[in-house]
Amino acid sequence: MVRGVSLVYGIYLLLPIVLLLVGSVGQSWTNSLLPSGFTGQWYVDLWQDGSFRRAFVNSLVVAGATCVIDLLLAVPLAYSLYHGARRRGSLAARIVSVMPVAVPTITLGFGYMIVFNTDLMPWLGSMPLLIAAHVIHTLPYLTHTLLADLRHLQPEKLEQAAATLGASGWQQFAGVVLPNLRHSMVSGLVMVAAISVGEFNLSNLLVSFQNRTYPVVLLQAFYGATGFACAATVILLLLACASALISSRAFRHA
Amino acid sequence: MSLILDHVSYTYPGTAHGLHDVSIDVKRGELVAVIGPSGSGKSTLLKLVSGLSTGHSGRIALGGEDLSGKPVHQRELGMVFQSYALFPHLSVLDNVAYGLKLRKVATVERRRRAQELLETVGLGSYAASAVTQLSGGQQQRVALARALAIDPKALLLDEPLAALDAGIRGHLRDQIRQLQQRFGATTLLVTHDQEEALTMADRVAVLKDGRLLQLATPRDIYTRPATRAVAEFVGLSTLLPGRVSAPDRVDVGFAELKTATGARSIGQAVIALIRPEHMQPDPASDAVNRFVGTAGQQRYLGSVVRYDFLVPGAPHRFLAESPVPAVAAVGIAPEHIHLLDE
Repeated sequence: MVRGVSLVYGIYLLLPIVLLLVGSVGQSWTNSLLPSGFTGQWYVDLWQDGSFRRAFVNSLVVAGATCVIDLLLAVPLAYSLYHGARRRGSLAARIVSVMPVAVPTITLGFGYMIVFNTDLMPWLGSMPLLIAAHVIHTLPYLTHTLLADLRHLQPEKLEQAAATLGASGWQQFAGVVLPNLRHSMVSGLVMVAAISVGEFNLSNLLVSFQNRTYPVVLLQAFYGATGFACAATVILLLLACASALISSRAFRHA
Repeated sequence: MSLILDHVSYTYPGTAHGLHDVSIDVKRGELVAVIGPSGSGKSTLLKLVSGLSTGHSGRIALGGEDLSGKPVHQRELGMVFQSYALFPHLSVLDNVAYGLKLRKVATVERRRRAQELLETVGLGSYAASAVTQLSGGQQQRVALARALAIDPKALLLDEPLAALDAGIRGHLRDQIRQLQQRFGATTLLVTHDQEEALTMADRVAVLKDGRLLQLATPRDIYTRPATRAVAEFVGLSTLLPGRVSAPDRVDVGFAELKTATGARSIGQAVIALIRPEHMQPDPASDAVNRFVGTAGQQRYLGSVVRYDFLVPGAPHRFLAESPVPAVAAVGIAPEHIHLLDE
């Protein structure tokens, strides 16, 4: 019974993806159950379309920058929250419990639109603002991943040992805590990258025509031929799969 | 280097717990064990010496130099923790060499010294292993090697054997003691296991409720405890409260004990302490301090039987230990009765 339900559910999840794959190599697909004809044309068109190539690069740039900035912010943040939150009821403990794992992106986007469309801060549509928005959106994920790892690691015992051996506060952090956070840093970053690559709501509201990211351009593809849109989506899927693979490899090495 | 605690007091903020006026001197190369029940302040003491806790009053001096104001990483103390606290991201050899690396010793030299120390603790072939591949006892030996590698001025051991199985504990106890003597390390050992303290230490400090009850050799702690609390904490005993009724006589209510009373005056309240191994089973009928009674619950320990001996009129059972339990009477030689004054 359970296996039957799981099977049906599995099919339900995978069916759209399978249809996408099928549609991406179909000649034409209008008003029928399945596309007709077989062609690799759509992928060629994608490759040749300048705006798609540009958007692909933009997505990678934004994701990369988001990863770097997230890392620089999340590691010290998680570390100080961990030490501060060990005393229950402290301000840090409250921050951790309240920190949202997902602020609704439309809310964030509208906020940015209102604030950064003024004469004082006319930055709406700029790349830095887009990256900043991605950072804000993904930071809680990385912070929580690191915090969980810290709780498991219990670094204070290692730090005490390092201190008695002669390590200053910084040496304890860099030499003992950081190396043991390596794996959760990598897997957290890959999650950040995957979220950033696929992020639509924020990007749609904040991009200018020049620095549109891949999901934004993808939306426009759906106003054209179905096959083209399917192929474009498949590319995004491949990107997501690649991120998942790398992330799970990092976990296995942990 | 000698380690001196001089009238050290510390109170945890918001509580009455901590240390109250504790003075312990550890001579150079000596191992002093600090024992006491939970909450006696022994861990607090070690944390203050290591610098992991600060804010005490009184003086802690190492080799004559006051340690207050010195942060943890400048005190040059080696510390071994109950949880081993080995660094999981470093190999065994690199763990031992960690302190040397911080001191900027050249790579070849520090690896050589680390290897040497590993050989000394008997783990030379494990140099390249990951710490997770070692057993608890092995990890603790690595931790000890790591602490000794930096040539510390003193060694602090925080219940190092508490997390280990009983079988390994005995083994490791001897090893730690041998290493400590070999390196001549001034050592402070905190433990709740009195057997550990008695077998390993040159002197034992007994703490209770943050106060030092007695600082003496293991033999003196056992045979001549200073207070009732020490007597009850270390070893098993039969305690009989009473009064000095005549020179060398103590009235314990149901009988009169013959034992040296020293300079005590008539009528002074005392407590007679008798260790179980000194209860002679079935002595001759004219033996001194002879009590008639019956054997109660018996506990077979292999080499001896530990049993309750019920004497009519006595406030509680006598605790006795001998290869064969007494049948009708026990006797106590006068020199085996130790009098406590409270």
